[in-house]
Amino acid sequence: MTFVTIDNLEKTFPLPNGEEYIALKGIDLTIQKGEFISLIGHSGCGKSTLLNMVAGLDLPTEGLVMLQGEQILRPGPDRMVVFQNYSLLPWLSVRENIALAVNNVMSGLPAAERSAIVEEHIDMVGLRAAADKNPDQLSGGMRQRVAIARALATKPKLLLLDEPFGALDALTRGGLQEQLMRICDENHVTAIMVTHDVDEALLLSDRIVMLTNGPESKIGQIMTVDIPRPRKRMEAINHPHYYSYRSEIIYFLNQQKQIKKIRARKQTVVARHGLEKINLDIGFVPLTACAPIAIAKEKGFFAHHGLEEVNLVRESSWRGVQDGIADRYLDAALMPSGMPIWMTVGGMNDKPIPVVSALTISRNGNAITIDKRFADQGIRTLADLKRFLLSSPDRKHIFGVVHPASSHNLLLRYWLASEGIDPQHDVEILTLPPAQMIAGLKKGTIDGYSIGEPWATRAAVDNIGYEIATDLDIWNGHPGKVLGVREDWALAYPNTHVALVKALLEACQFCADPANQDEVREILAQPEYLAMDHDYIYLSDSQQIACNVTKNPRDISHPLFFADGANRPSRTEHLWLLTQMARWGDVPFPRNWVEILERVAKVGVFSTAARELGLATSTTYNRQEINLFDGIKFTADDPIDYLNHFAIKHDIYMAEIDLSGKN
Amino acid sequence: MANVTRRSKIHKPKQSGIKLSKKQKALLDDILTPVVTILILLVIWEILSAIGGQSLPGPTKVVREAGKLIFYPFFNNGGTDVGLGLQVWASLQRVAIGYSLAAVVGISLGIVVGLNERVRKGLDPVFNILRTVPPLAWVPIAIAALKQNQPSALFVIFITAIWPILINTAVGVRQIPQDYNNVAQVLRLSKTEYFFKILFPSALPYIFTGLRIAIGLAWLAIIAAEIVMTGVTGIGFFIWNSYQNGYTSEIIVALVYIGLVGWGLDLLMVWVQGKLLPYSKPQ
Repeated sequence: MTFVTIDNLEKTFPLPNGEEYIALKGIDLTIQKGEFISLIGHSGCGKSTLLNMVAGLDLPTEGLVMLQGEQILRPGPDRMVVFQNYSLLPWLSVRENIALAVNNVMSGLPAAERSAIVEEHIDMVGLRAAADKNPDQLSGGMRQRVAIARALATKPKLLLLDEPFGALDALTRGGLQEQLMRICDENHVTAIMVTHDVDEALLLSDRIVMLTNGPESKIGQIMTVDIPRPRKRMEAINHPHYYSYRSEIIYFLNQQKQIKKIRARKQTVVARHGLEKINLDIGFVPLTACAPIAIAKEKGFFAHHGLEEVNLVRESSWRGVQDGIADRYLDAALMPSGMPIWMTVGGMNDKPIPVVSALTISRNGNAITIDKRFADQGIRTLADLKRFLLSSPDRKHIFGVVHPASSHNLLLRYWLASEGIDPQHDVEILTLPPAQMIAGLKKGTIDGYSIGEPWATRAAVDNIGYEIATDLDIWNGHPGKVLGVREDWALAYPNTHVALVKALLEACQFCADPANQDEVREILAQPEYLAMDHDYIYLSDSQQIACNVTKNPRDISHPLFFADGANRPSRTEHLWLLTQMARWGDVPFPRNWVEILERVAKVGVFSTAARELGLATSTTYNRQEINLFDGIKFTADDPIDYLNHFAIKHDIYMAEIDLSGKN
Repeated sequence: MANVTRRSKIHKPKQSGIKLSKKQKALLDDILTPVVTILILLVIWEILSAIGGQSLPGPTKVVREAGKLIFYPFFNNGGTDVGLGLQVWASLQRVAIGYSLAAVVGISLGIVVGLNERVRKGLDPVFNILRTVPPLAWVPIAIAALKQNQPSALFVIFITAIWPILINTAVGVRQIPQDYNNVAQVLRLSKTEYFFKILFPSALPYIFTGLRIAIGLAWLAIIAAEIVMTGVTGIGFFIWNSYQNGYTSEIIVALVYIGLVGWGLDLLMVWVQGKLLPYSKPQ
């Protein structure tokens, strides 16, 4: 049975001008006995209001809050609250403050027993020496300990904490968090805590409820913190999931801040030069493969094709790009090659959002990097790695990837599975923002990662890891990054779409010219792009860098930006990516895959753009098969048969994907 | 001889005066500064009275003419012819009674007003009108209503002292921090427990502010009341009587007494507050 139920709760406050402010709307949450829940969100998102309604200090306008099936209508000692400002009575000593609660709530017990409970809780929070002092004589941390003791002494069913450590210095806060955690573990306390401290929430909670910004705040996301208990701060921080949890929450909070800004921004469409829209927000993630986008802006290719007001939006993770396209605050974006079809078939929360791609921006440029300590074990090949994994079954090795739909993830899984390593069970694959990979590898919270340049080179130069394989070894010439726009955007702005493809295709050509290499590297090194020394960024031969871990490093895989036929969107390639996503159960395989591929790969737009640029040869259609390193060929003839042939795979689901655009 | 030379070496020249610790020096400074200031003011007063003719006596003349009052505060010749100490004592007794009444009524009424919004709304204008009426203006009403001097004097003290107590108490009750009320609600404290554990202690600092203002006003009021009421022992009547008889020096001595007692009362209140309220303000 659920312990606490919050059902379709809404809270409005009257405004001085007679209108109403809707603080919370449509809040549904159930809490199990013994769970520790954190409510996190920006100031004013209504998290304290929600807590007050569970406490009964405030009543919901609509919906209800129930504790063990009983509606909460007023405050009571079964739901003790620890307030941010302690709320101790300054005229009573520590002992008297706790006794006031105990004597009132447990008036049925004999006096001696009550006083024993008071003394027990004074000891529990370590305040024996201060028992007869008044709150004025105590430090902030000690006062909060009294408040916690007062709350726990009455054995409440539910403990409610309102930013309990918000006013304390970092050191005191840390100590108290551990103390609270120990007390909660020992007494199996069910608790709800309001906080704005991400680390505090991660350390203490079983689940973290993230609230969106007001007005009409709702639950944006609920994250289960799967770190084993009892927890210790240092152990929790070093837990392999810690940083992915943390970045998830921080991403959510940043997103909420941006939404505020985006809501405030005026959405206008500027049409000019026969183009429907020349003011574009284009998203990218800082990687070497973003070079054509940077060059198109810096060298004026956008402007040359009439796109005079292009604004590049730098996202720190692909998740940001994905949300930007879904929420329409990005017009177009650099995407991992699998993202358009992944979003189209409903990879994002099972809601199909048709996204199209008319240009492949880069190929190759990815590598699988592993921790340098594997070098000492003599691991050089996939077979070595498998042997090593089999010999250490007690420890799960963790690999980082940047997005479920990225070719890094799909190639890594394919590569592992080809040797009989099941990527679902024998290793763990985590989604992390690119910039966090290096930090994770250094700290040892991940064992390796599959990612695009410059991160493989960086691990080698910084002497923390080495490349065990590059995409040249797995599928030479696979699509790396593509241009993606929403299908409805492409239909609304067809001429702009062609102009955008033309500008980027020219930029791709520019980047691929060896004569421009140093200029491109310098531009990429700028703070608005990669913000990193250009010694980490290479577009071709990089003899000057040497991997310190292994004496004879592999050839670095450099992104290929332009070649005959390289930039044309290929249905076969998108189909292969789709089969791999379905293989690992990430998305269902669509029965209407033929229709979906027709819609995703916008070959027509590319052909028009290439023809107008005088690059007619690139448009020629030749259906080709894909040759992977293990010798298994892929043709677009029978993808289901192809999928069925894999020995290692997830259950494969089939579905008809509805692309009617209702989403 | 060796012994002699050594002894003469040890013998250091004496430091001037007694050694004082830093604290003692500060204390001495705190006492000496006002004493010297007062002495200077007395000298100026003496000079001014010498220059300005004989309309007001200088300090030396005051001591000469009213020495008996200064040096024998407790003589008793019967009737109203008693020493200033006894005069002050008689006035203080009246203040004690009137002030106590004001405190009891003021605090009780203040709590009622603070708790009940409707009562507050209804009485607020009444309080604001009455509290600005000067003590002296109450005297004729009091005498007309009560006929006798003694109860009239008590009434004037009462009516003057009650307003600051009442108003401050009401504010204190209304300003109980929401946190404390939340605690009371969560613990479901009973009404009596809420009153004694939360409401009263929380309002106490405000009540004391009112009490301290009120004691000053009560002391002002007694002088005003006694001046008008003839034939009672009391410092106020003493001043009036001396004025009628042209004993300016006696008036001056009485004024000094009044000031010292007023100051003493204020210090007393501060001391009591410090004893009863180890916590100063609500957190």
